[in-house]
Amino acid sequence: MAHTPAPRQEWALAEQFDDLSQQRDAVVLGVWIFLVTEVLFFGALFLAYALYRYRFPEAFQIAGARTVVAYGAANMVILLTSGFTIAMAAKEADARRRERAGQFMLATAALAVLFLAVKALEYWEDIREGLVPGAGFPLSPPETQIFFSLYWVMTAVHALHVAIGVGLIAVLYFLNRQGKLKIGDTAIVEGAALYWGLVDIIWIFLFPILYLGGRHG
Amino acid sequence: MTQTRQPAPQWRPEIVVWLVLLALFALTLAAAYAPFGKVGLMVNLAIASIQAMLVAGFFMGLRHAAALVRLVAFASLFWLAVMFALTMADIVTRS
Repeated sequence: MAHTPAPRQEWALAEQFDDLSQQRDAVVLGVWIFLVTEVLFFGALFLAYALYRYRFPEAFQIAGARTVVAYGAANMVILLTSGFTIAMAAKEADARRRERAGQFMLATAALAVLFLAVKALEYWEDIREGLVPGAGFPLSPPETQIFFSLYWVMTAVHALHVAIGVGLIAVLYFLNRQGKLKIGDTAIVEGAALYWGLVDIIWIFLFPILYLGGRHG
Repeated sequence: MTQTRQPAPQWRPEIVVWLVLLALFALTLAAAYAPFGKVGLMVNLAIASIQAMLVAGFFMGLRHAAALVRLVAFASLFWLAVMFALTMADIVTRS
């Protein structure tokens, strides 16, 4: 029997699925399961923070006063706004409004790059002040180094996730621009929005514990 | 090949959520400098939890999601709670 190519719409349907809505449900569920593993991954770092804050409250108070709220706050606003733009990108992609979706994706990527730029500035200043655990650490007691170890690891790992997000959104942006996101493929944009939402949520919790803990009277 | 285009999606719910998130952010910033003492971080974390729920509910679609998806999302909180409870129970009861 001669092979006749399926109509273009059906190219987006993978053969294991009955229909596009089932495929979309699978994308959403799959990404959420991945996000649960990310919650556990970051959760372990948050647990370490809770543990050591409980053990050394004064040291954490002293160290917490040395992070620069302005950088953290700017990044918070940037990420909250990018959460809005990526959510809209997913909505617009589903509504087959390709150009709008592309604009929102571009906005999200731009905001993410801005986040990384602010982070880089902040890191440079932190290094200049010697706030890197090890010999010559300027604060005492020594347990303040625990706070800053957690600061560097948690923000660096989070920034890595932001960078990965930039790459992901950039790929989707170019696929969208080339018209390669078919009906059924736009679930990927929703998947990216879910990933980005988690990156946002992690910063929502990182911000108070790293930047606001040392400000209280 | 023509694809039917649906009408423009509503911006308004997302914009409102974004504004509420920014308002909560301003609130948590203000609370950080208020003389709450030790309770202050708890206040900030409570506000952060509300922000997280808004992001999960509206930006991540949990509000309209299938029960199975919501169960999976909730599972992350459950396991986090177990990890925190067991570890902190150990730490807090050490002499």
